Amino acid sequence: MKQYGKYLFLLPGLLVLTLFMIIPIAGTILSTFFDAGSFTLAGYMQYLQDPYFLNILWVTLRTSLLTTLICILLAFPAAYYISKCRPRMKMILLLLSIFPLLTSPVVRSFSWMVILGKGGIIDNTMALFGSDTSISILYTPTAILIGLVHLFLPLSIITLVGVMENIGDDVVEAAKSLGASASTTFWHILLPLSVPGLMTGSILVFVGSFTAYTTPALLGGRESVISTFLYQNAVTLNDWQLASVVATIMIVLSFVVIGIMNWLAGKVAVRGGNIRG
Amino acid sequence: MSHVSLQNVAVAYQKTNILENFNLDIPEGELVSLLGPSGCGKTTTLRLVAGFLQSHQGSIQVGGKDYTTVPVNKRNFGFVFQNYALFPHMSIFDNIAFGLRQRKVSKKDTYTKVMEMLELVGLQHFENRFPKELSGGQKQRVAIARALVINPDLLLFDEPLSNLDANLRVSMRSEIRRIQQESGIAAIYVSHDQEECFSISDRVAIMNKGVIEQLDHPAAIYHRPRTSFVASFIGFKNFLRFDRRSENGQKPIFYKGDSTFAVSYEKDTGSMTGVIRPDDIRIKPAGPPVTENELSGTIITAIFLGRSYQYEVKTEHGSFTANQEMTIPFQSGDSVVLDMPPHKWVLVEESEVPSYAG
Repeated sequence: MKQYGKYLFLLPGLLVLTLFMIIPIAGTILSTFFDAGSFTLAGYMQYLQDPYFLNILWVTLRTSLLTTLICILLAFPAAYYISKCRPRMKMILLLLSIFPLLTSPVVRSFSWMVILGKGGIIDNTMALFGSDTSISILYTPTAILIGLVHLFLPLSIITLVGVMENIGDDVVEAAKSLGASASTTFWHILLPLSVPGLMTGSILVFVGSFTAYTTPALLGGRESVISTFLYQNAVTLNDWQLASVVATIMIVLSFVVIGIMNWLAGKVAVRGGNIRG
Repeated sequence: MSHVSLQNVAVAYQKTNILENFNLDIPEGELVSLLGPSGCGKTTTLRLVAGFLQSHQGSIQVGGKDYTTVPVNKRNFGFVFQNYALFPHMSIFDNIAFGLRQRKVSKKDTYTKVMEMLELVGLQHFENRFPKELSGGQKQRVAIARALVINPDLLLFDEPLSNLDANLRVSMRSEIRRIQQESGIAAIYVSHDQEECFSISDRVAIMNKGVIEQLDHPAAIYHRPRTSFVASFIGFKNFLRFDRRSENGQKPIFYKGDSTFAVSYEKDTGSMTGVIRPDDIRIKPAGPPVTENELSGTIITAIFLGRSYQYEVKTEHGSFTANQEMTIPFQSGDSVVLDMPPHKWVLVEESEVPSYAG
């Protein structure tokens, strides 16, 4: 009996998760397959044949994947630089990079509305170059994208710095001393060794932006994403049954994308396991 | 003509000069080690030759070719790191093959060469393993194989054995020596371990504060240190600055207070500082009056070293350290006479003696 003792440590967390997450989610998912007591897929058929909903799904998926990609591209060089800094400088730069996380999403989104909206900095600058000011970026998927990248970039940077710190300078130097160019060193050494951090960061960013509500609600205007659509169904239309269907589709899609990411990561992953040689 | 030649190179880090007007020449096929306390510039020198650092003056030549401004990846020098620096995500085969792939060696030749290397370092059948599955010694063998397989013009070792345990260090260093001699590639070997450097090198450079104080064959350094820094670094614990000297026929006599010392030497440098190892001082019980090369004193401490006892002896010219094998040791407080024979003394140039020197 004794060797099971250590599992007791899991119990509190497990209880909370079961009570407040697993049971409600199971309930949500189950409810989507039943209408008036009988099994049905009508809810799903209704959505998956609706071009309006499919468009929202596509926009959400595209926006969150783009957010993830842009975050990776922006975070990689920044994280590499930060990981090579001295401890004190590293602390300062990390604090600066998580700064966006410290402000409320509402405040942050309102700031972007000022910047991106009509008469905002972007519009005025564009006007200087003779651009058509009647089209503003605000209330477009681009605005959502900008807001989400701003929100999630810190996550990418933090997770990447975490793994990059553990890539020894000597490994990079070894590659160079063996004749590797800067690009070979990047593709064959740095990138593969960063995959664990890229994976963690990207999953966080993707799931975060796929399910984000405040930022798209404020910056997207009438442009719906899946979470705002879900909110409309549940609260405005008071159709919890259909909202549950949307929620289930979100959960399934998240898992599918994470699965694909994992598979992709496996292609370039660290097979040797431990980062340190 | 020497194979490796550093002329007047200089490296500064944050406005502090680490190396200044530094020169070093290494003949074809020779293994020269750089030995010195931490911060003496030995690793800086090695990294400069490797190309990880740039000299802002002078030149670096290897095999008659100027390498001063050639980037690291175009140098073709094999570098062996202290922490092995294997690529953790690659198999042992891919680690060793990495350099060959950069050189666009055909698949077939790569396979042959990697297998040859694995045999040379005694790691046959390890090609499909990953670095984390290997012990420290095995990892360092892979690192050596990886550096050797590119047929480098020069081998550079940065304290390659310092992460290994004592027994393994001894066997690995003879292995490194064997491999280096078989390949006939000139090598620079950095270490702070005196015994390691002496056993592995054709010549040893003792460095202090960015300067080579002595570059010589290991035995020559061991027996004839040129400066007081070198002497203290290689274990001469006793220093005596003489007051004056006089020539008594063939044998020069040195004076310190009332004591006289005959000192034999090969070359007269006019130096007035004598050094002697603890092992070379004989301790006798006090009794008959002291004669030439003798000094009376009192035992302060006696430390059991296993084979011998180490005594701290207080004399009128300061304290001396002497080691002696004996069954019944002296006790602290005993009056003794130190016998320091002429041929055990070495005259050295005064240079800065590190603070830890006793």
